[in-house]
Amino acid sequence: MNAPIQAPTPPSAANKLKSTRMAGKLVNDYWEMVWRAKEEGKLVCWYEGSSINPFLEAADIVWVHGEAYSAMLAARHQEGPAQAAAEERGYLRELCSYARTHLGCAVNNQRHRNGSDSAFADVPADEDISAKLPPPDMIISAYAYCSTGQQWDEMTSRMFGKKVPIFNVSIPWIWASGKDAGYLRGQEWEETSKYVAKQLEEMVKFIEEQTGKPYPWDRLRELMRNVKRASELRLEAMDMCTAKPAPATLFDWSVSIAPINQLPCTTDIVDYFTNVRDEVAERVRTGEAAVPKEKYRLFFDGIMNWNKLGWLAEKFARYDAAVVAGRYTHMAFWQEPGLINPEDPVMGMGQNYLICPNNHSSPILIDLIMGLCEKYEVDGIVFHATRTCRAFTNPMFMIAEEATSRLGIQTTMFEGDVADESFYKDELLNTRVEAMLEAIDQKRMAVV
Amino acid sequence: MLLESRVKEQGSILARLGEVCTDPLGYAREWKARTGGLVVGSFPMNFPSEMAHAAGALPLIIQEAEDPITAGHGLLFPFYCGYTRSTVDQAANGELDVLDAIMFGDHCVQLLGAADAVRMSLKNTRVIFFQLISSMCDPWTLGRAKESFEKLREELEDFLGRKVEDDALRESIRLFNRDRQAMRKLYEMRVAGQISLTATEMQYVVKSAMVMDRREHLELVEALVAGATENSPAPEKRAIRLHLSGHFCQAPKPELLDMIEGCGAVVVGDDLYHGFRYISTDVGENGDPMEALAHWYLDRNTGVPCPTRVQNDVDWDAFLLDAMRKENAEGMIVLMAKFCEPHMYYYPEVKEAFEKAGMPHLLIETEHESMALEHIRTRVESFLELVKRRRGAAPVVTSAAQGEVA
Ligand code: SF4
Ligand code: SF4
Repeated sequence: MNAPIQAPTPPSAANKLKSTRMAGKLVNDYWEMVWRAKEEGKLVCWYEGSSINPFLEAADIVWVHGEAYSAMLAARHQEGPAQAAAEERGYLRELCSYARTHLGCAVNNQRHRNGSDSAFADVPADEDISAKLPPPDMIISAYAYCSTGQQWDEMTSRMFGKKVPIFNVSIPWIWASGKDAGYLRGQEWEETSKYVAKQLEEMVKFIEEQTGKPYPWDRLRELMRNVKRASELRLEAMDMCTAKPAPATLFDWSVSIAPINQLPCTTDIVDYFTNVRDEVAERVRTGEAAVPKEKYRLFFDGIMNWNKLGWLAEKFARYDAAVVAGRYTHMAFWQEPGLINPEDPVMGMGQNYLICPNNHSSPILIDLIMGLCEKYEVDGIVFHATRTCRAFTNPMFMIAEEATSRLGIQTTMFEGDVADESFYKDELLNTRVEAMLEAIDQKRMAVV
Repeated sequence: MLLESRVKEQGSILARLGEVCTDPLGYAREWKARTGGLVVGSFPMNFPSEMAHAAGALPLIIQEAEDPITAGHGLLFPFYCGYTRSTVDQAANGELDVLDAIMFGDHCVQLLGAADAVRMSLKNTRVIFFQLISSMCDPWTLGRAKESFEKLREELEDFLGRKVEDDALRESIRLFNRDRQAMRKLYEMRVAGQISLTATEMQYVVKSAMVMDRREHLELVEALVAGATENSPAPEKRAIRLHLSGHFCQAPKPELLDMIEGCGAVVVGDDLYHGFRYISTDVGENGDPMEALAHWYLDRNTGVPCPTRVQNDVDWDAFLLDAMRKENAEGMIVLMAKFCEPHMYYYPEVKEAFEKAGMPHLLIETEHESMALEHIRTRVESFLELVKRRRGAAPVVTSAAQGEVA
């Protein structure tokens, strides 16, 4: 049969950073390492949420970040088999799709390994990477803010028959209580930081029990030196995007999440962010724009829609809208390198886990977001109402209200999801974004 | 007392409790006007109301309201559980203004969203939060729970401008224990067929405890217990004995419960929050009351495991099967508040365990607005039909699951 004639692909409107291409290779190498873990006799730890990976990497334990695996499947449009397996086990569609996808991997994983269950003891199809995930030898749960995260880990443990040791780190929400409460300050902050650090020390003992070896603190210090440097470079590059036109957008920073969040903390990540920083600096120098005809600057509030990342990047670029910052990319992932002391890293690591943006209640969170909107001089905020991630949708209406009343900027919302494409409604996004951009135009005309 | 007048008295007690349940904030307003005292609200499910009671306040667990969501639409998305949406709506509509303070320690992600929105809406209400540890079997769980309760107490004292004395707290604990014991007695009597209380009536008994002055409540419940005799009308023998499970922060709607029982079932047990979950565990009456509250927090999750906590060494499904054995229940209806994530997580565990045990169950998702009662009725009828057919047949250990999503 002849191949259908295809319409020529329109040239890309988004001028993505070239230096981020390297992320693809690093990510692939990392997952290859994960998939080889058992063959190489490595211990495997599953975890979600907070970036505890340096603790594991230092101890030579292979780390699997649940969200990262789900996001990777969704970005490759390979989430289907895992989500179907989860649904078959009874997980309803309204449950966090990251969790559902990852739990689906656990279901598939169990089935493919369980020879006694003849109905499922089949060999995974080559393309079904949901079943390739090595089963955990331990689980560490350290989820800030979202109760769904902690329960997800518990369910994983139960799915493996509660035979896998699990360690829980409780990371309390910063409610902003007391007159001295604020971002990185106040009694609540101090006490909570100590509480988390204490548990991390206990977590290290748990790791020692699993490996049967004394914990290699020197190795952790070395890794945290890289993390700190990578984080500083990332923030430096992001800061340069206050330039007009913006040299990079949220979509470049989304591609750069894996290197800061879960890739091995070697000098590779330092090199990666050095290259990114240099490219951004060069673009600022030459005035090269990430969105060639930048007309609007927007803030993106919400977790990423992984199945739609490239699609959204193009869509906004075609509207001449540079999405310059966002809650997910600009307020998380080793966000405060200044708190990390590589020589004595535990406290600073715990504090970075505590400042996952959602872990601040709205008075602090809203101030931080308003600050970013002002810094990047945005014309409006686009809210991605992530259907199954209430951690992100919780404060959205309040943020929108403040953006209008405090900054006088436009806002709009669209529905989508982190890893379940079925919740995304394209027409709605088009009409809403167009209406917002029109409102921005009108406001500008009124000012002129 | 003659049987007739006793039945009449029982009826008027239940009517009074029902009245409180229908308008909890109305009760609070009336109480406040009458006593001039403070009303301290709390969110479900683990804040010990004894603490606010010992401070001389009326503790009130904020309830889902019947009203459709209006102003709350501008604060939370429609894909949140009915409890959080309704709470935020009540705050935005000024209904919660009667509360002088709100205290809570639970951190279900949807509840946190609601709490933030409530604090934003109620500018004059102090909202006190200290997160309770939800990982229940860590070496530090007990110590941390105690510390959390102490922090909550300190903040309450700061709000009141005076101390909450240990003796007052012990006194409140004793009162609450007595009330819980009286309510549990009703549960026991219902299982034994010594009292005929519908599921809605039982809900009135428990839900009103979350709202009313405890002494007043205790008197009414003790009168109910005393008034019940072997002459009480026994439940219909042929009715299917059911256990109701689930529904955490909000009470299932009475019309749903009535419909289920109207299909030829009798509810003999439950682990609803507006039911046995709430009253399952007493607090130690001697020694340090804060230590006792911390133990209570741990004990009640071991007694009736809650999907909002993580505890690797207890199983909700095993608890349910065991409870049903004791209640001689023939089937279970799972009531799941739509969008309730903790419940969605644990449901597959329950489903699998019930399939394995050959115990039939039916899953019904409930919604704040627009529940298709007629459609649910058809499903309940077929479910009960199936349970009836199994009567007399030897228990089959197959995958005869009746779980099905509405
Ligand atoms: S709901 Fe969101 S924050 Fe919570 S576990 Fe899922 S992805 Fe993470
Ligand atoms: S536990 Fe369920 S019912 Fe309670 S607030 Fe959370 S989602 Fe709502």
